[in-house]
Formats: sequence, C-alpha cells, structure tokens
Amino acid sequence: MADHNHVDLHVSKFETPVKLKTLSLVLVAIGLLTFVIGLMKNPDRLWTSYLVAFFFFSCLGLSGLFWVALNNTANTGWSVTIRRFAEATTSFIPWIFGGGLVLLLGFKKLYIWADPLAVAANPVVQAKTAYLNTGFFLVRLFVFVVGALIFRAIIVGNSLKQDQTGDDNLTRKNISPSVAFLVFFALMFSFFSVDLLMSLLPTWYSTIYGIYTFAGLFQAGIAFLAIVVVLMKKHGFVKGYVTDEHQHDVAKYLKGFTVFWAYIAFSQFMLMWYANLPEETEFYIMRSLGGWMSISTGLLIFRFVVPFLALLPRAAKRSDSNLIAVSVLVLIMQYVDIYWLVYPNFFDGQVVFGLWEIGIFAGFAGLFLLCITSFWSKNSLVPLKDPRLHEAIHHHVAY
Amino acid sequence: MATQYTKGIAGIWDKESLILKAARKTRETGFTKFEAISPYAVHGMEEACGITRSWIPYVTFIAGLIGLLSGLALTYWTSAVDWAVNVGGKPFFSLPAFIPIIFELTILFAALSSVGALFYACKMPKIDPPIIDPDLSCHKFAIFIPYNDVGYDESKIEKMFKELGALEVKKTEY
Repeated sequence: MADHNHVDLHVSKFETPVKLKTLSLVLVAIGLLTFVIGLMKNPDRLWTSYLVAFFFFSCLGLSGLFWVALNNTANTGWSVTIRRFAEATTSFIPWIFGGGLVLLLGFKKLYIWADPLAVAANPVVQAKTAYLNTGFFLVRLFVFVVGALIFRAIIVGNSLKQDQTGDDNLTRKNISPSVAFLVFFALMFSFFSVDLLMSLLPTWYSTIYGIYTFAGLFQAGIAFLAIVVVLMKKHGFVKGYVTDEHQHDVAKYLKGFTVFWAYIAFSQFMLMWYANLPEETEFYIMRSLGGWMSISTGLLIFRFVVPFLALLPRAAKRSDSNLIAVSVLVLIMQYVDIYWLVYPNFFDGQVVFGLWEIGIFAGFAGLFLLCITSFWSKNSLVPLKDPRLHEAIHHHVAY
Repeated sequence: MATQYTKGIAGIWDKESLILKAARKTRETGFTKFEAISPYAVHGMEEACGITRSWIPYVTFIAGLIGLLSGLALTYWTSAVDWAVNVGGKPFFSLPAFIPIIFELTILFAALSSVGALFYACKMPKIDPPIIDPDLSCHKFAIFIPYNDVGYDESKIEKMFKELGALEVKKTEY
C-alpha cells in the first residue's frame, strides 16, 4: 500500500506490430474473397453468415461506448486508466452503417417481410408491414448509427480533448451526454435487434428480446475488454496504470454480466415454456429440434455455468491465463448465441457451419482489429489528464 | 459477562495515517493476537495488520450448494413424488418451473449462512462489552494487545505506542 507512491508509472506509445497489421489485412482479404465467392456460389449461406458476423461486431463496437457511458454516469474513478481500451472499440461504429447497407442486398433472402410476394401470402406479416419495411428500417438504422456517432464524438471526443488541454471540466461535461446515450442506446439497440434478428421470424415476438441481445452484447464487450486489459498489462504498455486490481474488477464485471445474461435468457424461456402458447413456443421448438437442441444446451453450459464457476474464486480473476480463457469462451459463445438466433430460422433441425461462416467472420474481425489498433496508435493508451487518475492508480480491491 | 473479555493494553490515536503505521509496527514487532479498532474501514488495514483472506466465502459457497440441492430435493419430492399434480400437461418433474425455487433457496442458504458465519467470526453479539474509549466509534483509533500475546511486556508496549505517537496508552479489556 504505502509503496504505491513509489510505483513505476509508464505508458508506452502503441504502435501496431507489423505482424498484427498484416494479419488484419489478410483477414479482411479473406472476408472480401468469401463474400464475392459466396454471392455467386451460395448466397443463402452467405447472407446468414454475414448477418451473424455483422451483428457480432456491431455489438462489440457498441459495447465500448456503452461501457464508457455507464462508467461516466456512475463517475467511477477506478476505471479511468482502462477507459481508452473501451473507447477504441467505438471506432468500429461508422462501419455499422456501411455493413447495414451491404446487408440490404441480401434483405430478400433473409427477411420474409422484405419480399412483397411472401408478405402478400402471409396476413400476420402483412399486418406488421407498417413497421417492418425496408424504408423504415433504413431510417431506424440511420438514426441509430448517426446518433451513436454524435454521442461518440461528444463522449470520446471530450476524453481525447482532455489529453491535450487538461481541462478538468471536460470530465463533468461528459456526464449528461453519457446519461442521454444510455437512454438512446436502450431504445435504439432494441429496435436494431428486433429489426435484424427477431424479424427473421416475423410471426413471433418476445418483449425482452432487446434486453436479451443487450445482455449478450455487454457480456461479450467486457470479455473483449478483459482480454485487452490482460494483454496490455502483460506486455508492459501501461505499467503501473493498469494493474491486477483493474483486472480483478473487470473480471467481476464479467462474472456479474454472465449471471445477468443467464437471468434474462431464463426469464425469456421460462415464461414462454410455462404459458405454452403456440405463437410463442414456435421459437423454442425450432431450437429444440435435431442438432439445435445441443446448441441450446451448450449455450446454457458454456455461456453461463462454466464462465460463472471459472470466475468465482478471487485467484481465478487475477490469473491472466484463466481470465483470457474464460473471455475467449464468452466471445465464442456470443457468436454461437447470435448464430443460434439466426440459423434455426433457415435450417430445420440441421446445424450447418463451415468456411462461409469462418470467412465472413474473419473479414469483420480484420476490419475490427484495424479500427482499434489505429485508434490506439493515434491516441495515448491512458487518459493521463483525467482528474480521477490518482483514484485509478491507487485502486485496491479488498475482496 | 466480564470473564469472556481479555485483559491487555491499548494505545489510542486520532490520525488514520498513524494508526496504519502503528498497526504495521505492532505486527512487525511480532504480536499476532492484537486488534485494530476503528470507527470506519481504513484502506490498507488488512495488510498493515497482516490479516489474511477470510474463510467466510467458503461457507457461502458450500451453503449455497446445499441450498441448491435442497431446492432440487424439495421441488422434486413435493411435485413428483409425494403429491404429484398434473399442471398443464407438463411432466411432474419440470426443471424450468423449479429453477426459481432452487435459485431462491441457494441464495437464502448462502446469505443466511454468511451472516451466521460473520457473527461467529466476530464473536457477536457482544453484550455490554468493555469500553476502551467512547470516541473509538467517532474519531479515534486504537490498537489493543491482549496479555497472552507473544512477547507481551507492558512497559515495552507502552514505550512503543508512545513512540508511534499514541495520545494515550491504557490497561483495559477487549
């Protein structure tokens, strides 16, 4: 404790390693190649895999902004030194709009409501076309992404500006936009999830769908943050600024939202299972047929039970290798979860997975890596002028 | 009741930084049974006193596990064995319906056992305990060394406490 005052503080300048940059570009190339070949050879699989990967990385990009807004709202001093890691993911947000526009090309393959012939044959879907139509979808996507970009420009912008000017007031000025963003995000992300995933089966609805996808988004976002925290700490980029104490609290966060995901997933399932109404159980019946049952059970075990138990002991949260392993598992399960929301709508009882899914995912992963590494190489890894910096440096987790 | 309290010597301070230093020094001198008394949680006190991790989390975990199994047993026995009732054509043993009860019992067992273990660990409740100094619940801090601690020597301890800036050193009970 007392020797905290003499701790060696040092922030290294982040420069994207050549290998990582090459890897990212190769991944993007693989993605583009898969996309072009897929469009010609197997458009059905291409669009489903595109939707899953697009949603996965949109969630990761948004999770950073949500995390920063949440911590600004709660005025958490301890999280200051790891804020940049979360802010970096927000540099993917502009791509959500681009990715959404590309998705429009595959709309007729994915959504019954986007196909006039299918709508005409289905009166239930017809009744929903006031909301479910391509034009209105575009408006919602536009409002969501532009809104998120404006909030990003304010919240992340103020944080970066403080690096230059050292103005303490910027921290206070960030609180109101953060609160506003949380409200905006709750609403717009629900629409985003309903539009992209829930409307794949337009005759079915769940009133907590947006919370379910949000729970997945935040759990995966924290898992990604945990990986970055461990790696940055291990490689000495943020000596003294990010310590085991920060890692411990991020791991607690991860455990907490692992439980939250299970709570929401179970709440959605239990009420539908109990009431047993045909228009509601449809969703779960599709996911209990054939191979999908094992994916459903796998979600319960590997997205909740295993991470929960693996993060329970204090030493487990402070172990680099354990935290990375659990975080990677959570990220894989976030992919499986979105896959599980999309694929059973197209493949009855038959689990399909292959190069199409991997290739498109690789493309988005490469793009995402390019976004975050370019953010880090342009900005300081730690907001050194934040007035709460001392709180973060002296952060100590008693339990 | 007085017999359950231990005689010893206490030093009293009025600064947080001094009590931390004093606690560290007391530990380094070799005392193991001493207590630091403070009106609020002082950061770094566990480390200064050399307090290791509490065993209460293990109690919580095991009690939670027992609660989980009890919940499972209760719901299974009542709904599927002793008084099986057909509810909406669902199987008698319908796990999804039992999860809320299993969860509640897990939490109940874990929480109550933790509180119970905490009371035991802190030797609570203490009825009419000896008062070292009434200000210890307000703005003063104390270190108490019981007479049966290793290397207990009143004059030496008094000298040490005075050197550490104690306002007062007195023989007392805790």
